[in-house]
Amino acid sequence: MMTALPASTLLLSAALGVSLLLTSCGTIPMPSVLGKSTPETVVYALGPREGYTSPLTTSLKPACPALVFDDGGFLLTSSHQEALRSVAKETLEKNKKARLLIAGYTPPNLPADHARSISERRALAARQHLIGLGFEAANLQTVGFGNDFSPSGPSSDVVVIYQQ
Amino acid sequence: MNARALLLLLSLTASQGVQAEGGFMAHLRGLVGLGHKAKTEDTKKAPPRIRVAPFTGGTGSSAQQTLLKELRDSREFFVADADEKVDFIVEGTSVGGRVDGRLRDAKGKDVFRRSYAAPGLDENLKALTDDIIYTITGRPGLATSRIVFVSDHSGRRQVYVCDAEGGEVHQVTHDKFGAVSPTLAPDSSMIAFTSYRSGFPIIRLLDLNLGWERGVTDTPGSSFGAAFSPDGTHIAAVMSFIGNPEIFVSDLSTNTAACVSDSIGAPSSPSWHPDGKHLVFSSDDGDGPRLYTVEVPFKEGESSRLYRWRTGYQFCTDPEWSPDGSHIAFTTRIGGEWAVAIKPYPNGRVHVVQKGGAQHPSWSPNGHFITYAQHGQLYVHDLRSGSRRAILNGYSRITEPRWMR
Repeated sequence: MMTALPASTLLLSAALGVSLLLTSCGTIPMPSVLGKSTPETVVYALGPREGYTSPLTTSLKPACPALVFDDGGFLLTSSHQEALRSVAKETLEKNKKARLLIAGYTPPNLPADHARSISERRALAARQHLIGLGFEAANLQTVGFGNDFSPSGPSSDVVVIYQQ
Repeated sequence: MNARALLLLLSLTASQGVQAEGGFMAHLRGLVGLGHKAKTEDTKKAPPRIRVAPFTGGTGSSAQQTLLKELRDSREFFVADADEKVDFIVEGTSVGGRVDGRLRDAKGKDVFRRSYAAPGLDENLKALTDDIIYTITGRPGLATSRIVFVSDHSGRRQVYVCDAEGGEVHQVTHDKFGAVSPTLAPDSSMIAFTSYRSGFPIIRLLDLNLGWERGVTDTPGSSFGAAFSPDGTHIAAVMSFIGNPEIFVSDLSTNTAACVSDSIGAPSSPSWHPDGKHLVFSSDDGDGPRLYTVEVPFKEGESSRLYRWRTGYQFCTDPEWSPDGSHIAFTTRIGGEWAVAIKPYPNGRVHVVQKGGAQHPSWSPNGHFITYAQHGQLYVHDLRSGSRRAILNGYSRITEPRWMR
């Protein structure tokens, strides 16, 4: 399940590849230069988790249909962004202080530790977008379950946004 | 657990007390046992020759036979018969399962004398075997080493521990929603793992000797991928409370943590170099996980230095440095299936150890074997001969094995 790269990124990667090949272990600055569209410029730290309920302990109601990530990556697509806009509109209209738990899941075939990290990263990408749509950072909590647990629904490569 | 705790304490005490002689050690170090490659070098580098003299005492006879088997199975020595010339002789006494062992060199001079008093003859002989191996070869033996792994045998994913042959299996976590991502401290005294007991992933420590357990992280977001530093004083792990998953190094004595990565993506699986100053980890920045190394800063004001480490493969996860720091094992994808590969560090040719779904490699303490999970089975793979075997049956789906002394 490889990531489909946009052409511009491939060109950038190819150019970087030349410099990377000059030394197999050079002082290459970390990934920031290898990033694609670098969607967020300011990253918001997570607030305290007290008061949030895990979907493992209680059956929680999703705020919207699950966001499906079927390309192996963590960048949000236009359909993800559209779904998040709907969530923000419906939720914030009712309660400006509404809290959400954003949980990432992956299919069972991924290496376990990578699965936890990529699922958390997807959840954080959705959180960043919701902050941009008006949510307070402290009211959005994330968790990456990787393939340790399966969500209900047909796809396991998803981010599920639970109401709290 | 009490017997194991005593054995572990004895093993630790013993290993700290053993000092081999430098010149002779240098001569013996690097010798290999049987195996295809070794056979061509046998004329130059024969394994040390050792003899086990009859043990006195009530359980002496069975002690001698078990010790002979352990030494042969270790493949570190040529185990000679009574009338052959040898480099080392093992003598001893065994009464009621207790073992008093003595290792002498060819001139009859004592190399060590030691008592093993765990309540079990086999456990005592495994400890003696490992002490003999470490004293003569400078490499840890495997008889007392342990493998931690995750199994859903009980219905939830929980952490288990077993010995290098798949025996003495114990379930060590009983967390409500499961426990995953385990790692053993270098002296096997503690296990760090990711617990879901609260419904959220947090890293906890379990002391196998004393039985206490405590949290290491209870930060928002996710915490996982713990790895003990070689001296056991620090843990490297992934935490995401700052708004992005990053690799943190946590000091266990002060419970402080420092971020050592600078990722926009999804870093995972940190592993320490044996020098305790470098980490290798996997990070996915949008085009699949690749491997990076980082120099860990331990002084105030120092910043970490990150390097990309190229393997030639596009999807690389679960890296682990070999015990001597000369190689890194990792999981990659070949032909649409997971595969375990090793590559010399910093440069060299990749050797694919096992294709067909093998993943999450972990080195044996002596660097001769790798354990990995393949389709839910736990395998031990001999890197010298290429042979492998499944060491556990009946434990449902096994994942995330980690091998430590």
